[in-house]
Amino acid sequence: MLEVHDLNVDFSGKIAVRNTGLTVRSGESFGLVGESGSGKSTLLRTVMGLNGSWSGTIKVDGLDIRKTPRKQLARVVQMVFQDPYSSLHPRYVIGQQVAEPMRINGLPNPERRTAELLELVGLGGPKFQFRFPHELSGGQRQRVAIARALALSPKLLLLDEPTSALDVSIQAEILNLLNRLRKELGLTFVIVSHDLAVISYMCERLMVMRNAQPVETLTRDQLRAGEIANDYTRTLIAAA
Amino acid sequence: MSNLVEIENLHVAFRNDEGGYNDAVRGVSLTLGREKLGIVGESGSGKSLTGRSLLGVLPPYAKVSVDRMSFDGIDLKAASPRLRRSLRGGRMGMILQDPKFSLNPVMTVGKQIVEAIRIGDRKVGHREARARAIAVLESVHIRDPESVFNLYPHELSGGMGQRVMIGMMVVREPDLLIADEPTSALDVTVRTQVLSILDELVSRRGMGLIFISHDLNLVSKFCDRVIVMYAGRIVETIEASRLSEAQHPYTRGLLSCLPHIDGSLEPLPVLNRQASWAEA
Repeated sequence: MLEVHDLNVDFSGKIAVRNTGLTVRSGESFGLVGESGSGKSTLLRTVMGLNGSWSGTIKVDGLDIRKTPRKQLARVVQMVFQDPYSSLHPRYVIGQQVAEPMRINGLPNPERRTAELLELVGLGGPKFQFRFPHELSGGQRQRVAIARALALSPKLLLLDEPTSALDVSIQAEILNLLNRLRKELGLTFVIVSHDLAVISYMCERLMVMRNAQPVETLTRDQLRAGEIANDYTRTLIAAA
Repeated sequence: MSNLVEIENLHVAFRNDEGGYNDAVRGVSLTLGREKLGIVGESGSGKSLTGRSLLGVLPPYAKVSVDRMSFDGIDLKAASPRLRRSLRGGRMGMILQDPKFSLNPVMTVGKQIVEAIRIGDRKVGHREARARAIAVLESVHIRDPESVFNLYPHELSGGMGQRVMIGMMVVREPDLLIADEPTSALDVTVRTQVLSILDELVSRRGMGLIFISHDLNLVSKFCDRVIVMYAGRIVETIEASRLSEAQHPYTRGLLSCLPHIDGSLEPLPVLNRQASWAEA
């Protein structure tokens, strides 16, 4: 579903991702862990096409992202950001935000589909459609962001710290929702988090990053059995 | 030994659109000795407001009422704004969540610490203030404090910024430190470091610490005693070491909804909120 080879990203001379590669199979949930500045979010944003200068190859569902038009790519891969307070348009009502990607892509019946999507993320009924983001709680806003990401029925969902701005009680609800959606819709996830417990709960495989480079890739079973080769990974687990 | 802080029956309310008041804190009473007290709760549970009303930094439109609020024998309820201002910074300090927003972006961090020292005591000379600032940067484990002294906040990482904040707050050696989510914006590895610095300072200087957080596990490892707040009330007070024996269903719910590295892969239990929790 996702193939990244020899990816290098630099921001005017400062290297953010160095010689990184990873492969995510269809239907899999893959985690990226590491401290701030380790390049995990940059990697995700580059896959989404949000970074200009990079080298290497990235293929999403067999499509080379350099050669694929923006709109077509958006139907395959979508992203959910960390902070639902800043990733929603403050002056659009919820229904509009969710319908926007469908309007841009000229899909039929955006209104009906919007209602279905909101229902899917647990914000059903007419009462939510006409609310503004500031009238919702953090957890509800993150649900809206998820509904919007699903609007074009993508196969791959990139989740950048999807719950770290939320209370632990709300985090549990969102993680359950994401797992349910993955099962029901057959989605593939790439999740960035600094919380190893969340990654271990959500992902079958994970990659630890540090200083713009991958440190090691583990399966969930290896993580849980403590079969870890790298000292840095051990430090992360001890601190979690 | 008498208590450092005593609060009895604190209420904080904000005006709502209908002209009435919405209670944000409803009858909180607590005492604090020279210990580490954790206040835990979700967003909107009133934990930050409790800390802020103790400091006296609520906005003027907040309606505060309290039966008794004292700090080291000083009656804060009757205290003049002038007296309260002199307590802040000198005897009570506060560390906020995000150093990016709480440091002055156009002033080097060294200057900011020097300013904090000299506001407290005008008699301290520049040279001595500078020496003290560098000493305090060193005490919060900043390598090469001489060069960090001349850096601007945007040149620091999050963890370093937070350590500078802590340094600035403890340089006047306050008796009480209120830390409002001091580590939420930090990486796990840096978090451990910042916590151990706080711990060291509290035990060495005999400060009282109020540690506000939404992270129950963190608080239980770090604090002596934990207060759990829900909808503006204290639902449970418990020794941190006995948190796993917590009785209140809300506390239990908060504990069980966390994923664990080696935990079950079944759907996480979610909080089943009961209206009765919000009642007294």
